[in-house]
Amino acid sequence: MCLTSSLLGVLVFVKRRSLLSEALSHAAYPGVAISVLLTSMFFAYSEELIALSVLVGASLSSLIGLYLIEKMKSWKVADDAAMTFVLSAFLGVGILLVSYLQQTKALWYQQIQLFLYGQIATMREGHVVIYLALALITLTFVTFFYHLLLSSSFDTTFSRSVGLPIRRLNFISFSLLVLSIVIGIRSVGVVLMSGMLIAPALAAKAWTASLSKMLLLAALFGLISAYFGALLSDGLPMNLPAGPLIVLVAGTIALISLILSPSNGALFRIARILKFRTDILRENILKLAWKNEGRTTTAKIRTLFPTSSLLLKLFLLKMAREGYIEKRGRAIVLTKDGERRAARVVRLHRLWEVYLFDVMGSSEERVHTSACEMEHIITPELEEELSSLLGHPKVDPHKQPIPQEEPL
Amino acid sequence: MNPYWNAHFFSFLVLFVKRLFLLITGQLPVSELAIDEVQIFAFALIGISCALVGTFLVVRKMTMLANSLSHTILIGIVMAFVLARPLFPQGDQTLNLPLLLLASFLTALVTTCLTEGLIRLFKVQEDAAIGLIFTTLFALGVIAVTLLTRNTHIGVEIIMGNAEALTWHDLKLLLWIFGANTTLYFLVGQRLKLISFDEGFSRSLGMSRNGATYLMMMQVAATAIGGFRAVGVVMILALFTAPILIARLVTYRLERLILMGSAIATVTALVSVALARHTLSCYQVALSTSGLFVTLLLVGYFTVHYGVLIQYGTKDVI
Repeated sequence: MCLTSSLLGVLVFVKRRSLLSEALSHAAYPGVAISVLLTSMFFAYSEELIALSVLVGASLSSLIGLYLIEKMKSWKVADDAAMTFVLSAFLGVGILLVSYLQQTKALWYQQIQLFLYGQIATMREGHVVIYLALALITLTFVTFFYHLLLSSSFDTTFSRSVGLPIRRLNFISFSLLVLSIVIGIRSVGVVLMSGMLIAPALAAKAWTASLSKMLLLAALFGLISAYFGALLSDGLPMNLPAGPLIVLVAGTIALISLILSPSNGALFRIARILKFRTDILRENILKLAWKNEGRTTTAKIRTLFPTSSLLLKLFLLKMAREGYIEKRGRAIVLTKDGERRAARVVRLHRLWEVYLFDVMGSSEERVHTSACEMEHIITPELEEELSSLLGHPKVDPHKQPIPQEEPL
Repeated sequence: MNPYWNAHFFSFLVLFVKRLFLLITGQLPVSELAIDEVQIFAFALIGISCALVGTFLVVRKMTMLANSLSHTILIGIVMAFVLARPLFPQGDQTLNLPLLLLASFLTALVTTCLTEGLIRLFKVQEDAAIGLIFTTLFALGVIAVTLLTRNTHIGVEIIMGNAEALTWHDLKLLLWIFGANTTLYFLVGQRLKLISFDEGFSRSLGMSRNGATYLMMMQVAATAIGGFRAVGVVMILALFTAPILIARLVTYRLERLILMGSAIATVTALVSVALARHTLSCYQVALSTSGLFVTLLLVGYFTVHYGVLIQYGTKDVI
């Protein structure tokens, strides 16, 4: 169940329609109620029969919900309002029907209530067989039509131009979405189903950008959360329902993935920002020491680049370790390495000033600030190009000499 | 003894008007209101509060955030429940007003912050961020409810609402919320309108977009807290959107949207309670009044839509 919903979740995710699953899973509820109602009129009580009829009923009412949302969008209703309207109104209809059933057939009513939060513990073999079959169908579809789905998800115009049946594909993938919702609501429940669709997809997106890997990862995350959710529900003494636990595990996985993700994760972003900042600070200190030749002190650095004194001391120690500076009494003196590095920073600064002044036509007073930022960013290749473009100038617009490049 | 016992649809309406007159002239004390009347007043008050807030939600395309909030509020309710027990051991645990409101504000704040944080810090798509936060928090809420009360019944009741258990004490809370929403509308309604329709201009006047978002989320939280006992947290969404969408079919002016939305909600409240009584009297079937309320709104939307279509022959009159 979680496997299929995770797979479909990815497809919905890349189409930026995640919240649709929320609307559709709620819209399935009146279908559940109606089908149980109808079954109760014509047949004797049987759980397998209920499971089957609910599949049909829930899919139908989900599809009707989907149709209404699309219809309302064509009537120029904003799609978020349309979705909210349909999901809450359908749930209302469902509750109305259920309240009718509650009095007339209490035993059947119990069965419907299961679908609200879901319950794994009461599932029988019959259920498992039905859901397994549906999961297999989805799986086959996704593997067979992988390329079609790929192109239609990311470039609708292109796929239409090569003659892919977009409408049919969309219809099929939405039907599959509905199907997976219908499979899922028995175990996770109507209210939490959309969590199962969104969380694994989001977690997978944090690790990879390729659709095939995303599908695999999402399926894996879905399986993990299903397994641990069920395990927790079984193992803990509190007798907790499995549905919310599964969603909770999936949500936690998604959050952790977002934090740790190598490409866009928060940790790595913060680390990158910090590294950039220390690089800038190091180069600024070098530049200062280079200009002031032997008269640079900690206090002087702090007036120009405000940092806490303890941090700065530590940082200076680190720079001494790296072999850029030496301490002589209170003053900070550059080593040979430090001097070369500092000269390069100053060179970049002044080259950029020349560039702004000569080529871009900026005024002399305004070039300094921009150069203070650019000096930390320019790569050696860019430096080479810049220098030859400007004809290897010797002085900057303020008539200061530009240090020449020294071979390392 | 309920005066509406065995009343039919129309006799119900007549009786209601009579008793309303008595109530206004002071001949009928508030504490003697029948459950049907309490329901009508409760639904109407919630409906009007929702129209005041919901209009802005719809025009600012924020209904999905409201949807998210209506789920996470479960945690807020549970929090209030947990805090109420040690603090007020004797008091009525489910109806501790300040705590409930405080908890709902907190959840509103947390939900909005987390969602915005996901969008900004982690660069997650808006829809996925909303979906992730509220399902996870809601799962947490359901687990908390199960842990605390040993059954999921309370959870079901919070989602579904239980209009049959309303008393006239609930009306006090609803009146407060209604009052607060109305005051806020008169205080900042014009600003909200400006922010909704011309964000650039409103920013140039120094208005804060985030401030407006948080304020609206607070209002949604308070209104949802007020409504959860009557209609449940999911169906309150229908009240936020449906009357406004119906009104939107016939007008595009913001003030009229609010007025018509309120009127639609009030009339639907009356009709749904009368219908529920009717089915009970005539067919001995007790339907969920709140379910009926929302179903009527759904039917109403499509009726009005096609009504406008037939009247004008086109859907682009407005």
